[in-house]
Amino acid sequence: MRRTLAVARPYLYILPTFFFLVIFTHWPILRTFYVSFFKWNMATPKMEFVGLANYAQAWSAPLFWEVLWNNLVFAAGTVPLTLALALALALLINQKIRGLAIYRALLFYPTMIPMAAAAMIWLWILTPNYGLLNYYGKWLGLPDVHWLGHNKLAIWALVLVGVWKRVGYYMVIYLAGLQVIPEYLYEAARIEGAGPWQRFWRVTFPLVSPTTFFVGIMAVIDAFQAIDQVYLMTRGGPGNATNLFIFYIYQNAFRFFDFGYASAVSAVLFLILLTLTLLAFRTLHRKVHYA
Amino acid sequence: MPSRPLWRLVVHALLVMASLVMVVPFVWIVLTAFKERNEVFSQIPQWLPAHPTFNNFLGVLDAMPFWQYYWNTLVVAFGLLAVQLVTITLAAYAFARMEFRGRDLFFILLLVQLMIAPQSTVVQNYITVTRVGLLDTKLAIMAPYLASAFGTFLLRQTFKGIPKELEEAAALDGCGALRFLLHVAIPLALPGYLAFGLVSITYHWNEFFWPLIVTETAKSRTLTLGLGVFAQTAEGSADWTMLMAMTLMVIAVPLIMFLVFQRRFINSFMQSGLGG
Repeated sequence: MRRTLAVARPYLYILPTFFFLVIFTHWPILRTFYVSFFKWNMATPKMEFVGLANYAQAWSAPLFWEVLWNNLVFAAGTVPLTLALALALALLINQKIRGLAIYRALLFYPTMIPMAAAAMIWLWILTPNYGLLNYYGKWLGLPDVHWLGHNKLAIWALVLVGVWKRVGYYMVIYLAGLQVIPEYLYEAARIEGAGPWQRFWRVTFPLVSPTTFFVGIMAVIDAFQAIDQVYLMTRGGPGNATNLFIFYIYQNAFRFFDFGYASAVSAVLFLILLTLTLLAFRTLHRKVHYA
Repeated sequence: MPSRPLWRLVVHALLVMASLVMVVPFVWIVLTAFKERNEVFSQIPQWLPAHPTFNNFLGVLDAMPFWQYYWNTLVVAFGLLAVQLVTITLAAYAFARMEFRGRDLFFILLLVQLMIAPQSTVVQNYITVTRVGLLDTKLAIMAPYLASAFGTFLLRQTFKGIPKELEEAAALDGCGALRFLLHVAIPLALPGYLAFGLVSITYHWNEFFWPLIVTETAKSRTLTLGLGVFAQTAEGSADWTMLMAMTLMVIAVPLIMFLVFQRRFINSFMQSGLGG
């Protein structure tokens, strides 16, 4: 009896976790792929096997490609900008200066607030006629337009909010990366006569590059999961100019009740993000060797 | 090469500029929240409220069941954390300090949760939640997060660091695994728990999309949803002062907590980034 208990004990300990994990993580992954091979919508309430028809539908839907393109633009807009600013700010904060805690708090706080709140703040700032951005933007040479209603600019308004919200978070991750660079490397560079510019490109930049790669992939994954600001600020519009992946899935599942098609799109997104995550995990391992 | 004082001045100048870009939007909504309703419709921005008023905050309390939203948010964030603490402690302890068949396989199955994007399983989880009759409940909002790979991973690292000798000495004194866990392992892991708790509560206080899908009425809606729903009503979308007052009411407490415990929050978030 005691022996049985001893053997069973570890399994009993992991049981609660695996109970929920199976229901809400493993099962939905398998089931998403399964459902993606069925027709299942308002017109066909009983699931009907259709093979790859849902994937074929996505392949030939111009909107699917537009959504993918929008998401790539959104990622290409947010990720490099966020990372470059985050690294620059981390370098500044890493100096031994006064008021450090205050700067850090001011730069980091958007991470703490809900994206829904950030969306409200920026809706108000971007609003035409009475918004701050149009008034002060003129000084910076920005056009006086209805940002969120503009075909080309709306997505860049979302990019702006994305960068504003996330830059402090990535700054802090970079800061952790900077602080493990041994001081003697800078000493050595200084003795060799390297200026600040050379020290950055020859010492700092190569040594934080694993962080950059890892953080970059995490940021791309983030960009492909962006939904709150789309839902609250543009609803995918004007037209479909800011329709991103999750919003597209949301529309198909919960507006058109086409669960088969929504599952197929989810499966595609799942595979894209899984590939990126595996890449990130590999660099995380490499980073351990570095340190 | 620039001289030290000059360099320092440049660093400060750049940081002040960056900080301003981050803070001005916040200052602007705070000031807006205290203005009278029609004051904001001016072509030239007026920074200070002409007649500072609390009416917007009172208006929010009249326009929606704000305290119900607040209560729901507290129940979701802290109730979820309470369950998570149990599930992650047990699992982390088993993975860190017990030998059992299939351990590595189970661990990989656990890490799957860290590796997949939660948004890609939203549709299926909605169907599950509906089938078991949890739609429009607070439990539905918590359900997908009751097990946490991140929390388990974080604690496992800490538990692994406890020396074997300590456990053996405790066992000699007749201290069983469960008592060792309660009296030695958990107290030693308090910093890990704190980090996990801060990240979990912040994340679920802020979450929007999943609660949006599984809730339908005020009885289960959280603050962010209340804000989102209000913003999309006709009266809400036109009433900037009230909208900004509500935004402020949603973020006030977490923001104050952040300012007070800044370092702890930042360190916790750093771990969450590196942990997955």
